Amino acid sequence: MTDQIREQMSALLDGELPRGEVDLLVRRMARDAELKRAFGNYVLAGESLRAPGGVMAGKGFAARVSAAIDAEESASPVAEQPAPSSAPSRWRRPLAATAVAASAALAAVLLVRPDSGDSQQFAERSGAPATVPVVTLPVGGASPTPAQNQRLAGYLVTHGQYATPIGRRAAWSNALATDPGIARVTYEPAEAR
Amino acid sequence: MRRGLVAIGCALIALATLPARAAGDDADDWLQRMTESLASLNYDGLFTHSSGAQSETMRIVHRVENGRSMERLVSLDGSGREIVRTPEEVHFYMPDRRVVLVEPRSDDGSLLRALPSPGPKLEALYTLSLRKGTRLLGRDVRVLDIKPRDGYRYGYRLWLDEQTAMPLRSEVVNGDGKAIEAIHFTRLEVGNRIGPRELEPAVDTAGFQWVRSGNRAEPRVAKGGWQVQRVPPGFRLVATRVQVVPGVPVPVHHLIFSDGFASVSVFIEPGPATGPAPPESATVGSANAFSTQVGGHVVTAVGEVPAATVRDIALSLAPIDVAASPAKPVSEPKNH
Amino acid sequence: MMPMANFPPSDGSTEPHEPRDDAARPGSGVEQSDLELVRRVQRGERGAFDLLVLRYQHKVVKLVARLLRDPTEAEDVAQEAFVKAYRALGSFRGDSAFYTWLYRIAVNTARNTMASRQRRPLDYEADLSESEQSAVESRMRHVDTPEAAALSEEIHSTVNSAIEALPEDLRTAIILREVEGLSYEEIAEAMDCPVGTVRSRIFRAREAIDRSLKPLLD
Repeated sequence: MTDQIREQMSALLDGELPRGEVDLLVRRMARDAELKRAFGNYVLAGESLRAPGGVMAGKGFAARVSAAIDAEESASPVAEQPAPSSAPSRWRRPLAATAVAASAALAAVLLVRPDSGDSQQFAERSGAPATVPVVTLPVGGASPTPAQNQRLAGYLVTHGQYATPIGRRAAWSNALATDPGIARVTYEPAEAR
Repeated sequence: MRRGLVAIGCALIALATLPARAAGDDADDWLQRMTESLASLNYDGLFTHSSGAQSETMRIVHRVENGRSMERLVSLDGSGREIVRTPEEVHFYMPDRRVVLVEPRSDDGSLLRALPSPGPKLEALYTLSLRKGTRLLGRDVRVLDIKPRDGYRYGYRLWLDEQTAMPLRSEVVNGDGKAIEAIHFTRLEVGNRIGPRELEPAVDTAGFQWVRSGNRAEPRVAKGGWQVQRVPPGFRLVATRVQVVPGVPVPVHHLIFSDGFASVSVFIEPGPATGPAPPESATVGSANAFSTQVGGHVVTAVGEVPAATVRDIALSLAPIDVAASPAKPVSEPKNH
Repeated sequence: MMPMANFPPSDGSTEPHEPRDDAARPGSGVEQSDLELVRRVQRGERGAFDLLVLRYQHKVVKLVARLLRDPTEAEDVAQEAFVKAYRALGSFRGDSAFYTWLYRIAVNTARNTMASRQRRPLDYEADLSESEQSAVESRMRHVDTPEAAALSEEIHSTVNSAIEALPEDLRTAIILREVEGLSYEEIAEAMDCPVGTVRSRIFRAREAIDRSLKPLLD
């Protein structure tokens, strides 16, 4: 019986619970600390799989948020909730300002000190195409430093401008990836055929 | 719904400015269609970018106005990095390093630039095939398989929406048929009106270092120039330009090699005196990089191709020996 | 032909519409799930907001910790962001994904916190030596105390071990879901099994992980 509820919770986490079952589950979870605890661990499992280590919310964070909201609400009681299709007047407080602040004054730093150099030429020499080598590049070894990462990321952005849209998507997504250059391959994703 | 009607109106306008869509139902046509859609439609979506065990949520916003495109790619989970492409510039925000890299936008504004051109050249290097796929995001999809004929390039598997040809899922596939990287949309709006705010970065750049291109000066590199020796089959040099790379005090040469679908960039910069030597090889997702030092310079090749390919291309560059008779200079293709 | 496309079909309008046949096809995606929870909060169910907090607490704390560059305050500021989100929820109409909206609130909250403290912006070149840079900016190792760092690592290795110990079908299912972001239907296609089996496998994988984590975190 509890298993069934917990399985529903798992499905809810994935957004795969039939809408008709959500109401009951949410209400059950609201009054069951153990269910909430398990739900929290389901979430933690996913986060840990995707981005191991690093900062995470401590135990009791969610409870603290709840308490903070309680404190605010008791300070100023809210009106009865009208039907959802009309203007939401439940919220007495003014809407939180979410306007994006304009960027502060920017310091443009020119790192380029143009040198008078010789003009260069690129000569293309036609030659026999290379045979197909089987090259195994060393995997692992020292991780790139942050400076190297930045350079690599910069290269990927520049490179992406010249790729096809799909290639650019790949190059730029990798430039944005949190920690380019460090291989953390643990699981091989199964192919979706 | 009201919003829907407004969106339809805008989408109709968007469609009216679309280039003539590829007719026909071949794999080639679908590839063409997909590239056109990516280049010319408005869209706003969330996707998961995964490679190996890592995955990250990202958002992409793409808007086309007056024939020029703007794009914003945001990492929602980790670094907070963003790339924003305005009509004039590309900004790469790296809040983790408190740096913004600024490059002038390099494409000439033509939306369909760098379309992979199906035809004998591409067919020599890749086989394309099409099949019906399972529904994704509640949409009917076709699966386009792009298989390389040799080990110098990667394959792609693309799940294209039947109606818009947008890739709802795309995988980069290695020689063993294994997906080494995947992009999978969890939400996608196509053809809607996109407000300017959606293309503004969420990063507060106060105190950041802005690294811009200076004047286009000639880089201080080897006298006598460089030559390109044997490159992997199918790849040819398609452009050379000068680039400012943040962290390198002088401009560098940027060469672009392409096989018609995949592209590899090579950056040539002065030797180690300018900073830490890049690692010999690095991999992030489907992108591989390889660096080598030649004649007092650092040559780095980067691209969404197998590691051996970037290695071969990087190693294919050699400084021209001034004393020897000069090789025929390449007839400069587009110089950006 | 309707050129506009929203995938999955947007549910966030305030106008009534025919509910889909949920017995045949449950709400597609975390997006939909979030929207449904939001609607319940808007109707007065506080419990639904708690679930949203549980779902996004780590992401928001992580995000804020990075923005503040001082992780000790991250939880307080993250808490403030969630409270703000709760207050502002009345104006959320589902035009964007809930997390996208929450993300913006968290970014702004962190930004305002820094502004109110009037931190002097770091003079990039002068203040950071190379070694300091590496120490400060190692990505996911940015934690507040050694204890927190140790716990975080322990959580990671516990989850890893639990996953390793799983039978292959459970392990594949949860990886496809959590790392690849596939839906149940897509996983069912990939694993060539019914959707109900996918749901059950993912659940059992999570239960196994929960059993491992419970002694660690209680």
